[in-house]
Amino acid sequence: MIQLNALAGGLFLLTAFGVLAVRQVIGCLRLFVIQSILLAASACILGYELASIHLLVVAGITLGVKSILIPWLLFRVLSHEIHARREITQVLNIPTSLLVAAAITIFAYFIAQPLLEISSAAFSRINLPIGMAGLLLGAYAITVRREALPQVLGILTMENGAFFAGVSIAPNLPLIAELAAAFDVLIIALVMGLLARKIQKQVGTTLVGKMATLKEE
Amino acid sequence: MELLYILAIPLISASLSMIRTSTQKIAAGGTILGTLAVFILAWKAAWGLGHGIEVPGITGWLSCDGFSALILLLVSFVGLAAAIFSWGYISERVGDSGGKRARQYYRRYNLFLLSMLAVPILSQVAMVWIAVELTTLLSVFLVSFENTAEAMEAAWKYVVLTCMGAALALVGVLILYWGQSFIATGPFTWAGLSEASSRIQPVFLKTAFLFILIGFGTKAGLAPLHTWLPDAHSQAPSPVCALLSGVETTTALYAILRLIPLMDGVSKDNSSTWFIVFGLISMGTAAFLLIQVKDYKRLFAFSTIEHMGIILVAAGLGGEAGYLASTYQVMAHAVTKSFCFFAAGAALLMTSTREISSVRGLIRTSPIAGISLMIGGLAIAGAPPFAVFLSEFSIFRASLAEGRYGVTGLLVLFITIAFGGIMVHVNRMVFGQGLTSPAPRPLPLTCRVTLAMTVIPVFLLGFYVPEPLHNLLRFAAACFGR
Amino acid sequence: MIQKIIFNILQVLVVMLLSPLVKGVIDCLKENIQSKKGPSIFQPYRDIWKLFHKDEVVSEQSSWIFRFTPFICFTTPMFVALLIPVLTDYPLFFAFMADMLGGGFILALGGFFAALAAVDTGNPYGPMGASRTRMVGFLAEPVFMIVFFTVSFVAGSTIPYIVQKVWVTPIANFFEPSHVLVMLAFLMLILAESGRIPVDNPSGHFELAMIDESKGLEYSGRGAALMKWGGCMKFFVLLCIFLNVLVTPWGLAGSGSLWEVLLAVPLVLVKMFFFIIVLVIIESSLAKLRLYRITEFMGAAFVTSLAAVVIQLLGI
Repeated sequence: MIQLNALAGGLFLLTAFGVLAVRQVIGCLRLFVIQSILLAASACILGYELASIHLLVVAGITLGVKSILIPWLLFRVLSHEIHARREITQVLNIPTSLLVAAAITIFAYFIAQPLLEISSAAFSRINLPIGMAGLLLGAYAITVRREALPQVLGILTMENGAFFAGVSIAPNLPLIAELAAAFDVLIIALVMGLLARKIQKQVGTTLVGKMATLKEE
Repeated sequence: MELLYILAIPLISASLSMIRTSTQKIAAGGTILGTLAVFILAWKAAWGLGHGIEVPGITGWLSCDGFSALILLLVSFVGLAAAIFSWGYISERVGDSGGKRARQYYRRYNLFLLSMLAVPILSQVAMVWIAVELTTLLSVFLVSFENTAEAMEAAWKYVVLTCMGAALALVGVLILYWGQSFIATGPFTWAGLSEASSRIQPVFLKTAFLFILIGFGTKAGLAPLHTWLPDAHSQAPSPVCALLSGVETTTALYAILRLIPLMDGVSKDNSSTWFIVFGLISMGTAAFLLIQVKDYKRLFAFSTIEHMGIILVAAGLGGEAGYLASTYQVMAHAVTKSFCFFAAGAALLMTSTREISSVRGLIRTSPIAGISLMIGGLAIAGAPPFAVFLSEFSIFRASLAEGRYGVTGLLVLFITIAFGGIMVHVNRMVFGQGLTSPAPRPLPLTCRVTLAMTVIPVFLLGFYVPEPLHNLLRFAAACFGR
Repeated sequence: MIQKIIFNILQVLVVMLLSPLVKGVIDCLKENIQSKKGPSIFQPYRDIWKLFHKDEVVSEQSSWIFRFTPFICFTTPMFVALLIPVLTDYPLFFAFMADMLGGGFILALGGFFAALAAVDTGNPYGPMGASRTRMVGFLAEPVFMIVFFTVSFVAGSTIPYIVQKVWVTPIANFFEPSHVLVMLAFLMLILAESGRIPVDNPSGHFELAMIDESKGLEYSGRGAALMKWGGCMKFFVLLCIFLNVLVTPWGLAGSGSLWEVLLAVPLVLVKMFFFIIVLVIIESSLAKLRLYRITEFMGAAFVTSLAAVVIQLLGI
């Protein structure tokens, strides 16, 4: 069982790399769906192992909101005519970005080390470092990507990473907090999607990384 | 039950704004009445606390201690003032035909106010995180209200950077929960945490502290993650700017300052050093960037970053004097900064431009706007006899008493640089010679009422702090100790 | 002992004789998926037979490298076939002659000579293709190395037979994250090394866009037959390493009886058939990458293998 969880974690990390590096914007969205499914899978495995109905409910919520509702919403709000199909340039070129991403992952492991020395739970050893790596990789994806939808997906990846760590270190967070957090992520996706659509209408492009008119000279 | 009413009233006002009428009267009127009711309730709670009466709430979910009551009071006051100012401002900007846009504005305004009111009174830490995240999400479309390309850019940067910070803070909150779960006592509230913190392993506290400081610090505008703040706080409509700069950054700082009693003990020195370092870096960045702004709303936005830095430094200095000085600074800043933005809004209505170089001799164009801008500039820069001067002076005194000469020196240096920067720009705008044109229309009545209403505390709190208010400040400061 | 030598020779014969069949199946299946009627699956045999019976034309300006290369490209996969588990899961006579790193170097030797021979002729398309092949090759090197390092960390050895045992017995080991990531990285590597889409188009005729096919452009008669056959054998050998060591380490002969070893032959073919289906689906749904995007593809493979190493080292 613990191996399955580790497998979910490894693939989760790979999808986080993918959100960073894939050029096709719809491809990024599909990777996000896979990522959320992996998060739900990890929550299921942990729920089964710790015999906690709570975690199974969390897995259900994740599956419903993050794998189905949010991608559908983003797809509807940013339909084909509005967003760009492919991102032409990033701030750093992709192979360099991937190397930096590998370095960030190792850094995340080092941050998690002191915390793991105290706890002895087997699942935290997997989930906490990978969750933190997901968090930092999402933040890196935001800085490196120029299109609107990948930046939104970067933020959602950060939240996924935080929850991936959360299912193992805080499995008993009150259910209402979990529900409210899921609702919150939904609102993030909605707000950012609508704003990107407005930007497209106003400015004519969703290349938000290139918008830099407001600054001191 | 008052706390529940405080949360319910903005919801009612928001739904009132959905009634389809052609003018904005119902929406605006409903908002003003709602914020007035909230202010009265908050005043009652704060007055009661100042006299030692506890505020009833729902145990484990809604509670209100000294610090919460202070923030609640400030949020409701600025909310009321900005609502009154909005009536005049929005009807000017949107025009007579814009009933729908005005209603959109008031609906979003009320929801934004609701989220800011929720932050101090929720006791569960996870819910506080959600409320802070909601303050961002519900204000994004307010920032982009003017629908220009720059406003869109500002709104996008705002939402991306603050959500990034919020995700970092989420990990911090989860680590706190994890640390507390080893002790298995108490609910996951601020009170429960501070009680259990002596038994939580220091490494959890330190890691969570760092994540929350960086995460919510992005939201509060601490350097080096402050880049969204000048854009968002200058592109939004002026009453919204007053809310954003005056109280929204303060609510983010509230969440950070709530960590202080947790760090007492083993990790104390660590946390105070982080506070002082981050605070000084923010002050320095803001002071130097202030000098070269071209837009007077950005000027005030950078001043917000500087004041957030000052509050953090004061909290980092610690001790009773330091904590009292930081709560006083919180209050002084909220009141003064909102007044500054109201003045800037008046200037914008009179001159229709945001550029400093295009505004000259404002005092001749429109005396009210000119005088307000002058008072605002002097007050926020820290000139006597205004409130900010008194709070900054008490911070200097606190840090000298601790013997931290380096910190005091840097504080004085940065505040002086910022003073110079603000005064040069404001002076040129208000008194300068050059392009003057007569004002197109007189300033709307509600704007004048707001300016008159909010200038009183700016002056008053510089001379005399009423007894219950002083008690409230002391209770707030006591929340930082244990 | 004699038995082991016989099985080893049997292994090489299987590789020699069945590799054109595998190529034939791929070509036929690819055409079928695109709703065309493909060539017969025995077509590569007929092609090789036909080429052996044709005259060879060799340029006067070329040197001994040009004449020697077909033999080198033909024999290097056979050497590697001696080392890897094709039919049995216990080490055979020559198994300890070289480990996986050695096998990789031997295959690279063949590629090196092919590139040199392509430059040797003086035809403009030859060096162009050769330089591109080298570029893909050197980008693939780090991935090769890291995959082998990961695998040897897991198993404690670089001999393929020993590595294979790790993933056969406790089935849970199969699902280890480092294993899955290594499989993914190795799959991308196979796509690059054997010149399949998305790195190169194996059925393209356009010389300006050829990468791997260009090494066989100038050959005729016996040389062409040997190059073609050698290419088929290299692909077969890579698939054997991938399938028998990493992906499906089951179905190999466990004991020394001849019957079991012969039974392993169709089982290996069945495993390859399933993998070929996956490969053909990948090929038919992707487009060939632009040349400089290949660095991104190999970068992704590198990072996947690096993630596998990191996860393995940090002890998940």
